[in-house]
Amino acid sequence: VAILPAPQNLSVQSTNMKHLLMWSPVIVPGEIIYYFVEYQGEYESLYMSHIWIPSSWCSPTEGPECDITDDVTATVPYNLRVRATVGAQTSAWSTLQHPFNRNSTVLTPPVMEVTKDGFHLVIKLEDLGPQFEFLVAYWRREPGAKEHVKVVKSRGIPVHLGTMEPGAAYCVKVRTFVKAIGRHSPFSQAECVKVQGETLPLTL
Amino acid sequence: QEFQFGPCRVEGVVLQELWEAFSAMKDIQAKDNITSVRLLRKEVLQNVSDAESCYLIRALLKFYLTTVFKNYLDKAADSRIRKSFSTLANNFFVIVSKLQPSQENEMFSISESARRRFLLFQRAFKQLDIQAAQTKAFGEVDILLTWMEKFYQF
Amino acid sequence: HMVEDTSNLLQHVKFQSSNFENILTWDSGLESAPDTVYSVEYKRYGEREWLAKEGCQRVTRKSCNLTMETGNLTELYYARVTATSAGGRSATKMTDRFSSLQHTTIKPPDVTCIPKVRSIQMIVHPTSTPIRAGDGHQLTLEDIFPDLFYRLELQVNHTYQMHLGGKQRDYEFIGLSPDTEYLGTIMIFVPTWSKESAPYVCRVKTLPDRTWT
Repeated sequence: VAILPAPQNLSVQSTNMKHLLMWSPVIVPGEIIYYFVEYQGEYESLYMSHIWIPSSWCSPTEGPECDITDDVTATVPYNLRVRATVGAQTSAWSTLQHPFNRNSTVLTPPVMEVTKDGFHLVIKLEDLGPQFEFLVAYWRREPGAKEHVKVVKSRGIPVHLGTMEPGAAYCVKVRTFVKAIGRHSPFSQAECVKVQGETLPLTL
Repeated sequence: QEFQFGPCRVEGVVLQELWEAFSAMKDIQAKDNITSVRLLRKEVLQNVSDAESCYLIRALLKFYLTTVFKNYLDKAADSRIRKSFSTLANNFFVIVSKLQPSQENEMFSISESARRRFLLFQRAFKQLDIQAAQTKAFGEVDILLTWMEKFYQF
Repeated sequence: HMVEDTSNLLQHVKFQSSNFENILTWDSGLESAPDTVYSVEYKRYGEREWLAKEGCQRVTRKSCNLTMETGNLTELYYARVTATSAGGRSATKMTDRFSSLQHTTIKPPDVTCIPKVRSIQMIVHPTSTPIRAGDGHQLTLEDIFPDLFYRLELQVNHTYQMHLGGKQRDYEFIGLSPDTEYLGTIMIFVPTWSKESAPYVCRVKTLPDRTWT
C-alpha cells in the first residue's frame, strides 16, 4: 500500500494581520484529500513541546490553505504543521520550516473614500477588523496650511472629519496602526476635494 | 497601549484579549470550591509601589508559566479551552520575556519586598493539594489581570 | 454542615449588577410551594465565615439587594440562598465568584441635548454609583474607571455620521443645517473591561435661521 505523501512547500502569507498558511496539494487520483492543521506558540514549544492545538478552521479542511488568523493570538513565534488524510490513510506531519510571528505581517496603506456633503468633509475607511486604528491627516490645500490629525476607530461607515470653508480645497491621507504589534502602515496617497460657493465662512 | 510596571515597559500585549481568553475559560473558576482560601490576597497585591511591581509581576507570571499552566494544558481537552489557554500563556510569556528589572544593589530592598509578597502567595499555594492549588491559581487569573490593569497605559 | 441540596426547590442563584447596584436573584424550583421561604448569606472570597443578610431572612420574594455588602471593589464575593419549604425540606445554592468590577453592566448616560441654529450641544452628566470612597463620598463611574470615555454620534441624513468623543462632558456638533432633524446617540465605553453602555438617544431639530427675516 502506497504511503500517503506529506504536504510540501509550507509557507505563510500575511497581510494586514490576516495570516494564510499554504502548501502544495497532495494528489491521489479519484480521491478527496483532507488536511489537518495544528499549531503551537512559543510557550508550548518551550514548556510542553508534545502539545499541539488543532487549528480553529482547518481540522479538517479540503483546500491546500488555512486561515490561521484566529489561532495566532500572541506576538510570539508559532510552529505550524499539516498532514493529509484519505480514508484511513494518514500522511506524516509537515512542519513550517521557520516559525511564523505576526509582527512580520505586511501592512498596506488603507483604502479610503473622501466625499463632501455641503461644507462637511466626510471619509469612509475599509473595515480591517478590531486590531486596527486609523490615523487620518487632513489639511486645507494652501501654503503653510496646518495639518489636522484624527484617530478614527469606526470601520466601514462614513465619518465626518471637519467642516470646510467655502471655495477652499481640502486633502486627506490615512495610515493604519496595529496595537498588538506596535506598527504603522505607510500613508495612503492624498485625496483632495473642493468646496463650491462663496457664502459666510464657517471655521474648521 | 502598553504596560508600565515602574521602569519596565511591555508593548504588544492587548489586555482586552487576555480578558477575553480568561472569560472563555471561566468554568474552571467554578471548579474551585475552596471558597475560604484566596492565594492572591491583599497582602500580596495591595499598595505595591511602581518600582516593586516589575519584580513582583515577573515572579508571579514565571510561577504561572512554569507551575500553574504547565500541567493544566494536558487536562484542558476541550479545544476551545486549549486555544484560549494558549492565548493567555503565550501573552504571559511575551510579558515575562520583556521584563528586565534592575539588578543593582540599591534596588535590593525593593526586590526583597516583592520577593516576600511572592512568597506569601507561593506558601499559600503549597499548603493546598497540588491539583486544588492549580485550579485555584488558575481561577484567580482575573484577580491578577485586575491588578495588572493599574499598570496599563491607554 | 451543608444541608442536602434539592434543586427542585431553588435554582439560578446569581448576582445581577448594573452601575454597581448588586442584586442577588434566584428562581424557585419546579416543585416549590408559594409558602417556601428564602434566607440569604454572603461572604468575601478567602474568608471562612458566612454572614446572614439582615432583611433577607425567611422572605418569600426572590431577590435581595446586596449592594452595600459587596461594595469593596478590591474584593470578590460569594452569596448563597437557602430555600425552606413548609414541609421542612430545604436546599442551598451558591453563586459563582462575583466581582462587581468585572460583572457590572453600564447604564446609558444621562445627557442634555440643546439644539441651536447651526449646532447641537450635548452635556453629559456624571453617573454616581453606590460605591463610597474612604472619606465616604460617593464615587462616579469616571472615578472608578480611569479609562472611561464618552462616544457621541450624530446621524446626518442617513448618509454619514459625525463623531465626537473623549473624557470631557461638554460637546458641540457644529456646521449643521438650520431647521433640520438629527439623531444623536451617546454611549459610555470602558475599554479595559470591554464595557459599553446601551445608547442614550436624543432626536433634536436645529432652530430655524431668523437672521435674514
